[in-house]
Amino acid sequence: MQLADLPSRRHEAWKWSDLRAAMVGQETMLVGTPPLDAEGPISALTQAMGDAYGPSALVVEAPGDVFESRITEGDVGQYGTVVVRSGATATMIERIGVSGSRLRPFLPAYAKIEVEPGATLHRVIVQENAVVAGEADAAIVLNEAVVKLGAGSTFRQFALGEGARFARFETSVSVEGEGVTVELNGVYLASAKRHIDMTSRVAHVAPGAHVRQLVRGVARKGGRGVFQGKFLVGREGQKTDAEMAHNALLLEEGAEVFAKPELEIYADDVACAHGNTAGQLEENAVFYLRQRGLPEVEARALITRAFLVEAVPEWVDESLRSVIEQRIDAWLGTSQ
Amino acid sequence: MLDLKNLHARVVPEDGPAREIIKGLSLAVPTGEVHAIMGPNGSGKSTLSYVLTGKHGYEVTGGTATFDGQDLLSLEPEARAALGLFLSFQYPMEIAGVPVMTFVRAAMNAQRKTRGEPEVSAPEFLKLSKVAAAKLRIDPEMLKRPLNVGFSGGEKKRLEIYQMLMLEPRFMILDETDSGLDIDALKVVAEGVNALRSPTRGMLVITHYQRLLDYIRPDRVHILSAGRIVRSGGPDLALELEKSGYDQVLKDA
Repeated sequence: MQLADLPSRRHEAWKWSDLRAAMVGQETMLVGTPPLDAEGPISALTQAMGDAYGPSALVVEAPGDVFESRITEGDVGQYGTVVVRSGATATMIERIGVSGSRLRPFLPAYAKIEVEPGATLHRVIVQENAVVAGEADAAIVLNEAVVKLGAGSTFRQFALGEGARFARFETSVSVEGEGVTVELNGVYLASAKRHIDMTSRVAHVAPGAHVRQLVRGVARKGGRGVFQGKFLVGREGQKTDAEMAHNALLLEEGAEVFAKPELEIYADDVACAHGNTAGQLEENAVFYLRQRGLPEVEARALITRAFLVEAVPEWVDESLRSVIEQRIDAWLGTSQ
Repeated sequence: MLDLKNLHARVVPEDGPAREIIKGLSLAVPTGEVHAIMGPNGSGKSTLSYVLTGKHGYEVTGGTATFDGQDLLSLEPEARAALGLFLSFQYPMEIAGVPVMTFVRAAMNAQRKTRGEPEVSAPEFLKLSKVAAAKLRIDPEMLKRPLNVGFSGGEKKRLEIYQMLMLEPRFMILDETDSGLDIDALKVVAEGVNALRSPTRGMLVITHYQRLLDYIRPDRVHILSAGRIVRSGGPDLALELEKSGYDQVLKDA
């Protein structure tokens, strides 16, 4: 695969996240990559990196397993497959950390996931970025999961993204059995010089799925957030109940958020909805809190924090939730 | 305690020209007194409450406003709150995701910090909250819900007074606190307000109607019209207004 093979802004799915432009100067990362195929660029880029350690394969048979992986700047990519067998439940935690310790960090990950009939998988991605906001941040973070869901299975995902020079989290879910439950939530924090893209696609070729998606994001001056969400319901997807919501707050002049919520429906008996908003903090609410004595910075942080935390699901366990909330607080500048 | 001298202020909307609303208003509320401000729609009642508390979009163009001799107008809203200025809003804001108790405790501690006082402890806070809620007949479950979200008009007003009891301000401005309240709720709210009357506190009660003043008895009543106090008197002035209406009383003024 060559630089010219990578998708650029001319590709609809990458129009706000120009991977080709981001990879200029990182051509060495293309060495040894397989030709671009239907699986897309993240798969190809990760495979070459992952080969250093060999691809990992994970099979979950017992209920209640928790797997945690960490990708930091010292690691190479992470390429693997995960199968959750019928009746098993698992939690997959991916911690991705950018520390600024390397010159041009490249952190790709690609996972092929299969959740068999009746199985449950919870996936949490926490992408931190410790580079001081506004400073040169050269990291490229790529993360893609392709998820197949069997009948009666459950797949819930939450992703926190702090972004990088270029960061993209992509999730493709294919609903292949009847009566699945899907949740795809996320929170993104885009400060100056950060790019954070949350892209997802849920394709239904089986009936009766229950899908919920809530992505909340904030952006400051010079930061860019991207949300692309698509629900594709084929003729076989009758009785699908799917709701998608993306809400963003532009906290400063010069903040950017791009959003494309999409519904494509071919079945006639479905309940599908999407909502998308991008706005500013309600100044009257800020004044209300200040009138009660909260300093302006705290008043703004309190409202913004509440707005973001609403997208962190109940099922995220306490310790991970507190990590997520700490990252949000740190970003808002209110951590102690 | 609160001294306004020849105050002029205008509203500066984000879109549209500025309009002068307060046009030479003078008013003094001595410590320990409750004053009522009555006036027709558009006379500047709410504007006055926002100017005193420092809301964005309101600009003072002349005159002075002092609180215990200190210039109020140069202070940020939160600094005015820490001095003890409290506004019970006509339309309290809904704040999603922030539970009432979490917020009130944060506000309480922020004020205490500014004043150099120690933070309120959790048990102490809960005790205070229990007493205040009982006084206002507020369901304690309501205090765990996000601030004002989905509350009825009456519940919101009750919650304003709950916050007032908790924060124990030194000077209270009640902006149309009676609107949206039925007579029973009005009595409960008035009891809560009266509990805070003291020789060390002051109060400005802004209202359209005399009804609220049956329960919160003012020491003085002022009539605001076109941005100025046009008449002042004892509690009887409110009764006179109720009987003859603004038109008649303003004609006499």
